Amino acid sequence: MQFSYIQPTSIEEVFKLGSAAPLYAGGTDLIGLMKDDIIKTDKVINIKKLKGLDKIEDKGNKGIEIGPLVKIADLIENETIQEKCPLLVQTAKEIASPQLRNMGTVGGNICQRPRCWYYRGDFDCIRKGGDTCYAVGGENKYHCIIGGGPCFIVHPSDLAVALLALDAKIEITSENGQKTVPVNDFFILPEDDETKENILEPGEIVTKIILPEQAKGFKTTYIKFKERSSWDFAVVSVAAVLKTDGNMIKNGKLAFGGVAPHPWMEAEINQKLTGLNTDEASVDAFTSSLFHNAEPMEKNEYKVILARNLVKRIIDNLA
Amino acid sequence: MAESKYVKSKIFFEEEFEEKLAEVPTDPKGPWPANDNLKIIGKPVSRIDGYDKVSGTAVYTFDINLPRMAQARILRSAVPHAKIKKIDTGKAESLPGVLGILSSNNAQEIKWFNTSSLFDTHLRYQGDEIACVVAESEAIALKALKLIKIEFDELPFTVDAKEAMGEKAPKIYDEGNIQGGKPFEYARGDVDKAFQEADAIVEDTFDTQVAIHNPTEVHCSVVNWDGDDLTVWDSTQAIYGVRDTVADALKMPASKVRIIKKYMGGGFGSKLECGKYTVMAALLARKIGRPVRIVVDRKEMNLAVGNRPNSVQKLKLAASKDGTLTAISHYSYGAIGGYEGGAGCSWPARQMYKCDNVKVEEYSVFTNTGPTRPFRAPGYPQGIFALDSAIDMLAEKIRMNPLEFRMKNNAEKHPMWNAPFTSKLLKEAYEQGAKAIGWDKRNNQPGADKGPVKKGMGMASQIWWGGGGPPSHAVLKLNRDGSARVIAGTQDLGTGTYTFMAQIVHEVLDIPMDKIEVILGDTAVGPYCPSSGGSTTAPSVSPAVRDAAENMKIKLLEAAAAQLESEKKNLVYVNGLISDTSNPEKKIDIPGLMGKMGEQTITTTGSREANPEGYITQTFGAQFAKVEVDTLTGKIKVNKIVAAHDIGRVLNRKTLDNQFHGGIMQGLSYALMEEQIVDINTGKVVNTNLHDYKIPIIADIPEIEVIIVSEADPMNSNTGVKGCGEPAIIPTAAAIANAVYNAIGVRIKSLPMTPDKVLMALNQA
Amino acid sequence: MSPKDISRRKFIKNLGGGVVGAGVAIQTLSAKTRKESKPPSKSDSAVALTFTVNKKPITLLVEPESTLADVLRNDLKLTGTKVVCNHGECGACTVLLDGRAVYSCHMLALDAQGKSVTTIEGLMDGEKLHPVQEAFVEHDGLQCGFCTPGQVMAAEAILIKNPKPGKEEIIEGMSGNLCRCAAYPNILKSAVAAAEKLNKS
Repeated sequence: MQFSYIQPTSIEEVFKLGSAAPLYAGGTDLIGLMKDDIIKTDKVINIKKLKGLDKIEDKGNKGIEIGPLVKIADLIENETIQEKCPLLVQTAKEIASPQLRNMGTVGGNICQRPRCWYYRGDFDCIRKGGDTCYAVGGENKYHCIIGGGPCFIVHPSDLAVALLALDAKIEITSENGQKTVPVNDFFILPEDDETKENILEPGEIVTKIILPEQAKGFKTTYIKFKERSSWDFAVVSVAAVLKTDGNMIKNGKLAFGGVAPHPWMEAEINQKLTGLNTDEASVDAFTSSLFHNAEPMEKNEYKVILARNLVKRIIDNLA
Repeated sequence: MAESKYVKSKIFFEEEFEEKLAEVPTDPKGPWPANDNLKIIGKPVSRIDGYDKVSGTAVYTFDINLPRMAQARILRSAVPHAKIKKIDTGKAESLPGVLGILSSNNAQEIKWFNTSSLFDTHLRYQGDEIACVVAESEAIALKALKLIKIEFDELPFTVDAKEAMGEKAPKIYDEGNIQGGKPFEYARGDVDKAFQEADAIVEDTFDTQVAIHNPTEVHCSVVNWDGDDLTVWDSTQAIYGVRDTVADALKMPASKVRIIKKYMGGGFGSKLECGKYTVMAALLARKIGRPVRIVVDRKEMNLAVGNRPNSVQKLKLAASKDGTLTAISHYSYGAIGGYEGGAGCSWPARQMYKCDNVKVEEYSVFTNTGPTRPFRAPGYPQGIFALDSAIDMLAEKIRMNPLEFRMKNNAEKHPMWNAPFTSKLLKEAYEQGAKAIGWDKRNNQPGADKGPVKKGMGMASQIWWGGGGPPSHAVLKLNRDGSARVIAGTQDLGTGTYTFMAQIVHEVLDIPMDKIEVILGDTAVGPYCPSSGGSTTAPSVSPAVRDAAENMKIKLLEAAAAQLESEKKNLVYVNGLISDTSNPEKKIDIPGLMGKMGEQTITTTGSREANPEGYITQTFGAQFAKVEVDTLTGKIKVNKIVAAHDIGRVLNRKTLDNQFHGGIMQGLSYALMEEQIVDINTGKVVNTNLHDYKIPIIADIPEIEVIIVSEADPMNSNTGVKGCGEPAIIPTAAAIANAVYNAIGVRIKSLPMTPDKVLMALNQA
Repeated sequence: MSPKDISRRKFIKNLGGGVVGAGVAIQTLSAKTRKESKPPSKSDSAVALTFTVNKKPITLLVEPESTLADVLRNDLKLTGTKVVCNHGECGACTVLLDGRAVYSCHMLALDAQGKSVTTIEGLMDGEKLHPVQEAFVEHDGLQCGFCTPGQVMAAEAILIKNPKPGKEEIIEGMSGNLCRCAAYPNILKSAVAAAEKLNKS
């Protein structure tokens, strides 16, 4: 890699620089992509010094605003988040390693590129502009079971899964102004564009992550199943926000990571949660209905079982 | 003064016996007493090189920076099989800062492997060497690599051993893909008859993965010519081996090549051979008249510097009702990549247990994948995984406790040669290990635990070589101030060689530990010692050091007799003080004696004795695992490993425990996580980094208890030491696999036992 | 004995003694033929970096693409910081940036602008080891030693954040550092002992 390094101090300066260069925040993903020649660029725009984007602000009933430059480690330590959104703390603690949490940012975590080994390796794959998804008929153990085609990545972000379950919104700023979109609309499937994972266009920057005020009485948890005890991406992860009443789930949401090209939530699944009895038979019936529409590949059928079992574990633990 | 003689001595290294002419002492020093009666041997002693390593001052080959040093990198094949038509280095050569490029265009023909050369135009795997660039900086060299244009014809490839064995597979060599044209075969007794007469038979297929050594310090060399003398700093386990290969490749006398390795960041077998990179760097350094550093990066490490080959093993075992193992049939094959290597894994089947009827047929198959290299007990972790899984299955079939079954089939003599062992305490290892793990509390009914998380216990046996032998030498110098310097041409891989050598000198001569300096890893100063592989370093080198120290004591007593004008027979050497038993006035300490000497220093040498004729020296052991399996996720958690082994005498309890921890954790990683994955459609490796090639972290460690059941093996050498590096890794995966079966009642026959496999097996059961 | 056709062992042996070079012509080079290009100098794109390394203020020119590990090792000759994976996947290059553990191979040197970096060399008090370093020697928290500087820095980072960490906190805090020798049990022991030692003194 070889490039010039530009360090604007305001977002306006970034826009003036044009849209061709990658934005560099924590760098934990970008450095790897550049070292591996996946991203080739002659300049890098360091946005670390942009003012005001590294704060967490409690806006009362308007929720909590998290700046994209907040470091993962600082998100974990933040008292407001600890008090009002323990799910996010629990999720953030699952990210990568202590060093990477000290380096990586919230914005970078949700905008990171996939970990697919074909994408990261010496394969001219469809996500890099080629015409083949090598995971098809290849080594697809870690690939998606739903929502795939023509590319079959899974989205690697932990935070995005929790943010989805929390109904968070993402503020995007460009030269033309600002817009705010629900997390669900921020991420896209390969069928819409197989070369990117979200709606960001060149020249657009994530400027806020907005957590709506959380309703009272919900239990939350994030289970991340990984092969190594720590410092690993999710094979499958589940973020749950549930309200229970005795042996009954009143209502709730389940969001999944590791199953699809973007963090995955299904209205149908969440509807079925409403009024679900937590006796073994009902829970089994519920979980075995999950991902009935999945289309696993040769080597990842286990993910269907795993996702169902993790939900079972969550309901057993929370309810 | 001690004299020496030359004998032909047999030593077992990696896969076979070899006979070497070796200088051995004529006055064997006799065995040491038990460690309880020794001062420092066997005690937990902190590494003498610990300071250098924790302070960051230890200089590894990777860190060496010579004045005017240039940097070299290698261009490697991006495809699994191709013939080069043309290499165009023009653009690369004109890049500012590029100093030289070597490729088949301009390099001399230097033979490499039996069938290839330093720059072969027939590329046989992704990662095969094409060209080497030397430049002012590594960044420029890397940039230049991208500017080299290669025209090549891609050839059909095969990356699967089974496919490669077939008639229709693309041939990597004209003679076919089976190395040597036929399998390795071994037989004793009458296997067919034994199967006919058996009360119980089990038959199954087991497979194991390709594993990559991935030592932390990448393979690297720094080379410097001084006239016609070549000095090579190399991250190597074999300074003498590298010296000879470099000298032969460059057609120069070995005496003109000096190899230096002080500290190295691990090897595990991958650094047992000289790499092509070292020779390329030497050629380029000659060409540009400057020192050259060459490194192989992490990705190259995962492609091109060796692996533990995969295996597919079909095992058939028979027993009689009383628990006698009556037959073993072992058929296996594995991929060795594009060049000579070995995928054999039948040694355990041939020699672990007493069994009268054994038949082995194993194939090493050429494929378009990376090369094999010895990896910590080559062939054994995979062989024991299959064999000891099948042993458990057989024991279950005849309703016998697998511990009892193993005890019953313990071989008192070596089953292949009917030769006695210098020592064998396998039964003791079984007994003490079983007691420590609480074997009597093992589930009688596999999978019987209630709830989704099920616990189980399993065990497996270990056999390995590790007796070492001659030739192996040490030089000991005593200085005027009473300090000592011990020098040997061996190498410390992080195993603790520096420290045990100092301990031995202290034990014999009472010189304070902080006054003993150890010089290793330099062919210019260290007398010959073997490569550090096969768990042979401590058993080969420690007796030579003791011999040198004892010889020093003899010399000191002679000097003291002259100085004190005493009769030698009246002198005693106690705690570093020489005194005359006939006259208490007459005494002198070592610094005092040395101060009297005209020659300032005394030098002695020491040598390893010959191995005893007619005996076999091997290491033995058993490991016991306690696991829990989460049946909802398929994840296996190892809670405890008890390792009970016969490895002769313990030299240093602190570094020994650490060796076992490391071997067991690598075994756990082999059992549960690590695996090189090759994309069958492109023939390329998909996981060439340390994120996708998964190895354990600190959070994955179980409780580990190391029990050494042996005191010493005095028949083997004057220190009675056997090696321990490889024994530690051998039974771990098998013990875990047997524990997993005990926990869930479903047998996982494929390594690594990753959650996906376990979950699918549970759901198909 | 079992004669294998070509065994691994034989292969090593062959390499040790039997590699045949066909006509390798090595000529001694005269000083004139020695290849010498300009010594590496910083390009026009180089940028001034001012930061503190081991308490010493330093200003130097760095290429924008240089990682912090590159600058520490190559420019400042602080080779105690090791590069193993060069991808932020192993932890050998761990240093402290304003007191927090980071992977120096995986960040640009320019990101340290105005900040304070502590490397393994900076833990020392002259020739005296830091208590964490002492603990790693005493409890043999290493084998080959190549990952050790990173392990020590990770342990130190835990103790800076919390001088009295529990065992679980230490395990989590050390989880970003691989050790292929897998000396993990003793690494853990060393980190726990270091915490105890610091609390006693």
